[in-house]
Amino acid sequence: MSTGALLERLAPAGAADARAARLRAWFVAHGLPTTRAEAWRYTALDDVTAALGRAGPPPPVEPEVTGALVDELAGDHGGPRLVFVNGRVRADVSDLHAVPSGVWLGGRGWEDGDEDPPDGFAALNELAGTDAATVLVGAGVRVDEPLHVVHLVVPGRAVAAVHPRTVVGVGDGSVVEVVETYAGLAGEAITVTNASTRILAGDSSHVTYHRVQVEADDALHVGATRVEQAAGSHVRATSVMTGASVARSAIEARLSGAGAEIDLRGLYLPAGRQRHDNVVTVDHVAPHCRSTQLFKGVVDDHGRGSFTGHVIVRHGAAGTDARQTNRNLVLCPTAQADTRPWLAILADDVRCAHGATVGRLDDEALFYLRSRGIPLPESRALLVAAFVGEVLEGLSPASLRERLTASCAARMSRAGR
Amino acid sequence: MLHIERLTVTVEGKRILDGLDLEIAAGEVHAVMGPNGAGKSTLSNVLAGRDGYEVAGAVTFDGEDLLALTPEERAARGLFLAFQYPVEIPGVGNMYFLHTAVNALRRQRGQAEVSAGAFLALAKEHMARLGMDPAFLSRSVNDGFSGGEKKRNEILQMALLEPRLAILDETDSGLDIDALRVVAEGVERLRRPDRAMLVITHYPRLLEHLRPDRVHVLQHGRIVRSGGYELAAELEAHGYQPAAAS
Repeated sequence: MSTGALLERLAPAGAADARAARLRAWFVAHGLPTTRAEAWRYTALDDVTAALGRAGPPPPVEPEVTGALVDELAGDHGGPRLVFVNGRVRADVSDLHAVPSGVWLGGRGWEDGDEDPPDGFAALNELAGTDAATVLVGAGVRVDEPLHVVHLVVPGRAVAAVHPRTVVGVGDGSVVEVVETYAGLAGEAITVTNASTRILAGDSSHVTYHRVQVEADDALHVGATRVEQAAGSHVRATSVMTGASVARSAIEARLSGAGAEIDLRGLYLPAGRQRHDNVVTVDHVAPHCRSTQLFKGVVDDHGRGSFTGHVIVRHGAAGTDARQTNRNLVLCPTAQADTRPWLAILADDVRCAHGATVGRLDDEALFYLRSRGIPLPESRALLVAAFVGEVLEGLSPASLRERLTASCAARMSRAGR
Repeated sequence: MLHIERLTVTVEGKRILDGLDLEIAAGEVHAVMGPNGAGKSTLSNVLAGRDGYEVAGAVTFDGEDLLALTPEERAARGLFLAFQYPVEIPGVGNMYFLHTAVNALRRQRGQAEVSAGAFLALAKEHMARLGMDPAFLSRSVNDGFSGGEKKRNEILQMALLEPRLAILDETDSGLDIDALRVVAEGVERLRRPDRAMLVITHYPRLLEHLRPDRVHVLQHGRIVRSGGYELAAELEAHGYQPAAAS
């Protein structure tokens, strides 16, 4: 299918506006990325592009989605919850009555600025996506309860593509926690989620953001989170992937204000025939910024987990402190883990450290536990839980940490053969 | 209780144990001494069920074929190995580990599980006796423990798991005199007419505390000499060579 035809299929031309015209022209010229591009090398893109070529718009908003179903699939973290189903806001299952003052939470139209899109998925997302889940926090606001954005995909009879969008804008000096959950139901046909999240952290703001992808086992998911940080801002971002048959989570952080800090963590647990790909890019533009990456993968069965950690230190970004760690646990010989540090350091006076490991469960530790009477499956699960525990440690809100710990444990008991 | 007959163990084509015979009855404490490389640790590892050994011969525990059982099944039958080198397991809390182990054993034995509260009280009681700070419960298993702390943690596990046959693999090595006394007392407390112990050691000092019923010399992969407690003193005075030659 030509890129023009694909575009007409997924985002039929509507009322002419300058931004849309530019995006359409860009997409027709560039199309979707391929695995020849380094950043897409480990993504099972063929499955995604084939599905997109057959995909239509999602079925109309599903009435059977209830608050209880959202609780079950995405959890309730106590604070306000904004729920989108198949890309459209669902006020009836959202909980917006307790949105604190200084915070705006809802769905609204959003343009990504006037630059060229970073890639074809982003272009499609902007063209085909509807309202964005929007979190706006004014300056000097301290938000006590976590704000939860849920993107639910509900399949219909035919392959459907959904283009969820989230925008988080945090004013100077504000403090906020945002949880973004991608969940879905299994159905007759598969779904393709092409998600885009933008986070803008103002001067000296503190932003905690968690991206949780727990879609149905046969879903396809391509997501990108782009973070822009002003001076002195502090972001802690976590990506957890357990769902979808093919999933990619790209996180791109631009530290453009002096003294900005980002603490990135990730966990991916591909089993069965799942493919989980993480592509993290931290771009140190301003001086005296600090970044850490801690990503861990547990791969089982015929699963494949990949991590690419790209650190760029630009000219002038003196005093940069960048650290990257990727550890993988391969639970059986048919599972596969790829790890790829990718450092581009163009400034002097910087500290960059990276480490990557791919290993099996420790036989000594396993024997030690078994010799104390703990059966093999439980011993394995205990060691895997200890491995993933480091990523989830200290994660706030506690309800999310407990939920993720439990869902990891449930998967690990499957792995405990 | 434990019956070992013509036990032969090979690792990567190298014969470590070569027709070892040993019989331990309930209520007895046996010591196995021997020079480095005699196969002492191999014996304890094979009894506990570690992988990586080619094993021939017969080992029964209360008449049951021990070699056919998994490590966890052996533990459920009442076998316990105090490791020479206790394994560090970062990320697994010591309290959680001990509680899980106790309940795993109780489940396999058809007994009711112990609640976390009741278990914590019991663990603290044993730790006080062993001179262990209760803070060790909230740390990861053996992670960053000193040599002596690791050995005490082994004795703590032994006390909590209440084995019927405890194998102590050089538990005394690397301990100062005070720690050795605490460990010896911990072992002594476990002694009962229905329990047995196999103490593997290089040094007679632990044996001075424990006064074993039998002392065996393991050399070249088999028991070359056996005797009463006085044999330990003789070995200390003359070394292994004369004993092996006799």
